Amino acid sequence: MLSIENLSVAIRRPGREVAALSDVTLAVRPGEVVGLVGESGGGKSMVARAVVGLLPGGSHATGRVVFDDADVLRMDESALSAHRGRGVAICFQNPRGALSPTRTVGRQLVDRLVTHQDMSAERAREAARELFESVGIRSPQRRLDAYPHELSGGMAQRVMISLATGCAPGLLIADEPTTGLDVTLTREILRQFRHAADTDGRAVLLISHDLASIAQVCDRVVVLYAGTVVESGPAAQVLRQPAHPYTRALLRSVPDLGGRPVVATPGAMPLLTRAPLACPFAARCAHADDTCATRRPPTEPLAGGPDGWSLACFHPRTGPLDAGPGDAPPGSGGPVGSVGTVGSAVVAAAAPVSEAADPAPRGAGPAVLEIDDAHVVYRSRFSSGGHHALRGVSLRLAPGETLGVVGESGCGKSTLAKLIMGLVPPTSGTVTVAGHRAAPGRGRPSGRAARRLRTRAQLVFQDPIGSLSPRRTVGDSIAEPLRAAGLPAAERDARVAAVLDRMELDRAILRRYPHELSGGQAQRIGIARALVGEPDLIVFDEPTSALDVTVQAQILDLIADVAADAERAAVFISHDLATVRGFADRVVVLYLGRVVEEGPVDVVFDHPLHPYTRALLASAPRLGGTPPADAAPVELVKDLEEADAATGCPLAARCPFVTDTCRTQPQQLQSHGASQAACWRIPELPALIGKQATTP
Amino acid sequence: MADLRTSGPTEATDPPGPVAGARDSRFARVLIITGAAILAVIAVAALCAPLLSSWGETEIDPAATLTAPGGGHLLGTDGNGMDIWSRVLYAARLDLGIAVAAVALAVTVGTLLGLVAGYRGGWLDDVLMRVVDIFQAFPTFILALAVAALLGNGTVNLIITIAAVNAPAYARLVRAEVRTLRELPFVDAAVTSGASTTGILWRHLLPNSLTPVRVIAPLNCGWAMLTLAGLSFLGLGVSIPAAEWGAMISLGAADVVGGRWWTSVPPGLALLVCVLGFSLLGEGLQERADAKRR
Repeated sequence: MLSIENLSVAIRRPGREVAALSDVTLAVRPGEVVGLVGESGGGKSMVARAVVGLLPGGSHATGRVVFDDADVLRMDESALSAHRGRGVAICFQNPRGALSPTRTVGRQLVDRLVTHQDMSAERAREAARELFESVGIRSPQRRLDAYPHELSGGMAQRVMISLATGCAPGLLIADEPTTGLDVTLTREILRQFRHAADTDGRAVLLISHDLASIAQVCDRVVVLYAGTVVESGPAAQVLRQPAHPYTRALLRSVPDLGGRPVVATPGAMPLLTRAPLACPFAARCAHADDTCATRRPPTEPLAGGPDGWSLACFHPRTGPLDAGPGDAPPGSGGPVGSVGTVGSAVVAAAAPVSEAADPAPRGAGPAVLEIDDAHVVYRSRFSSGGHHALRGVSLRLAPGETLGVVGESGCGKSTLAKLIMGLVPPTSGTVTVAGHRAAPGRGRPSGRAARRLRTRAQLVFQDPIGSLSPRRTVGDSIAEPLRAAGLPAAERDARVAAVLDRMELDRAILRRYPHELSGGQAQRIGIARALVGEPDLIVFDEPTSALDVTVQAQILDLIADVAADAERAAVFISHDLATVRGFADRVVVLYLGRVVEEGPVDVVFDHPLHPYTRALLASAPRLGGTPPADAAPVELVKDLEEADAATGCPLAARCPFVTDTCRTQPQQLQSHGASQAACWRIPELPALIGKQATTP
Repeated sequence: MADLRTSGPTEATDPPGPVAGARDSRFARVLIITGAAILAVIAVAALCAPLLSSWGETEIDPAATLTAPGGGHLLGTDGNGMDIWSRVLYAARLDLGIAVAAVALAVTVGTLLGLVAGYRGGWLDDVLMRVVDIFQAFPTFILALAVAALLGNGTVNLIITIAAVNAPAYARLVRAEVRTLRELPFVDAAVTSGASTTGILWRHLLPNSLTPVRVIAPLNCGWAMLTLAGLSFLGLGVSIPAAEWGAMISLGAADVVGGRWWTSVPPGLALLVCVLGFSLLGEGLQERADAKRR
């Protein structure tokens, strides 16, 4: 169907030359889902653009992109137009941005069908309705008349898929289709692509930075690094026992639900100005020798591997990934794990966590953070009512403790962070941070004393670059808390220098501006700013979700180090359960503004109680390992956006085990062993889930 | 009419094509340099007026009234026997000075109002913006008349008048900018770092909200100059015998009818070139900002 042979793309612009792709070869057959993975800058999107004939200006392509016996690189405008309309369709990362905002989605789909499929308008509308149904849109008739802004992210991505499949293209390309979506939705959307391949025999090219999440639906995966294919092969095997050191590093950078240690690989992907003459990964690779630095490894089939598994490496690894740092064959340059040990790299895994758990027993001593039955309602300015973001949350955090907060978007995670930081006042209930109490009715505290007190808690933001003032230097930003505290300049400089060292940053960075920083650097600056005032509590609000995988591992390293400070408490907020497992002592699961489950991290992950926690754990990607027996998967029956706020259990509308009691009576947190959960049916759940599994 | 919009673009999935960012920024540079050069020449000429002409600003040559260009008077003389060339040069001092001072005042006042209104919001925002509305509701010349009647004629009052006309636009611009900026994480970061409200306004919101102001202000200098000339033409601005382009045009208007074009055309051309300089500079800055945004 699609066959790319030795594709190289060079982009030449005045003063800038980039070898975006070098000798990329890959194929996608009908009915097959191929995953294209790698970090940003690796050339993934460039491959997609080459296939649809949309290379950016100034680019020079060599090689062949053969689709149905025609070379896309040599098509003229009219052939390209037909190719894009009927041959290939592409789904973009930001579906709402790719939909025209002033026209209903139904209209956009119908127009496309009329143009490319020569349908009549009535026929097209009928077909549009069927398409919406096939991608899992409920009440399609109503959705056809919706404008893009009325759709949620997941719904908009479904519309994009229906737009892409509508003209029956042979090849479907999805460029990061699930970035920014929640885990339960991600799985649902990825399934749509698998479905398209299985039922309609389409070829699907799935592009993602996240190998772990897409591998489940892919037949084969192709790993790109700096514009070269480093490894390709059957998805299951590559995921379990990757042979190329980069693929291994990539997978080891991803926190795993099973508690496997995260190993950070130092450095970042190079931006090549010309096709590489040596192995592009050599500089970051622990196994690299002189050959790697002087010759480019040819792409060869893996000796003894299954059919179609090939890689470009002089020193392929073998064995499963989970074996830990000692997995590499002896005498071959040391284990992959040693790469990361530069600067305390091995993140506290399951075992160290249980050692470190509760250094100060809970309930003893003064709490750093105490939230008592806090509600937050965002009132709208012009009407009564408003958005009830938090509905009675109570938390207590002792010094030295690290609390993980997980939940999907809209569950109130960010509101909780703002509440702790005093950026929003509680509508009712109280929040006490380091002895400073915030109660309803007061806005942002003012006055010098109140301001200084509030700096006892610090926030690390999700958007690392956006959280730095664009026209202030990095040095200025880091020193801000110290300046606010009235420290003299000399002492400020000394403390900034100290914290820079801890973040492994060079002094020269102090004079730079935020737009000159990479995401990883900016987040190190963000952590440095949070740390410089020696706060009692640091709140991390999704600190790594905007970063590339290997950079994410480096930042998680630093955060684990910071969170381990004995005198400091930390709250780590994430939609990604696996990240939290790395270094939290306790974990709280939020759902629609309520705590549905709370307990020691290992207990919650290995023996989840609440159906929602079970569903979350079931949706999260796992590398190789099988979920624990207790965590039998729970499938929620609807998407989050369709669930309406109920008077009873917040999950009632989506829970497969719902009863009338659930719908009408809210349940409080009840202790079940080491953890607590708010669900009426916990005692019966294991039996119920077993029944669900046997009757599909 | 309805059949004009039967079919619209359907290629919703196409990303924006290649953009000629490099070309645009080169174009912007040409505009900026040309505009700045024009203004620099005028400013230097204004400062060096005594060196460039042998007649003073209000010096009367009793032997020559309404003489044609050439001879002892490069651009001729007006009805009072004053040298047009030297008056055009001297007038640049007043025109440039008043325009720039008025815009500077407008930027300062407007930015402060916009900052406070945008950051505080609530009733203060409502009150400030309604005051701004009132100022914007008056036609320029009616407002100028009112101010002149209230404060009397004079250079300082002219500056205040023109600033009052222009400040509301800056207040709105900065307010809109601040309302967007204050929702961004870096403002929250400053708040949680313990920065005071004035610190946040001064150190974070002000520098970040000035980008559009920098683009608008040069353009605005051109408009201010036209306003000034218009006021003077109507007799509301600078009073004779002080040299000012608008006043000169007004004074010479009667003579132009009689075929003595040199009384009004030179100051008019000077005004045109000067406004053109500001426009080019402003356009260039606008282009550069746009090119950066892509």
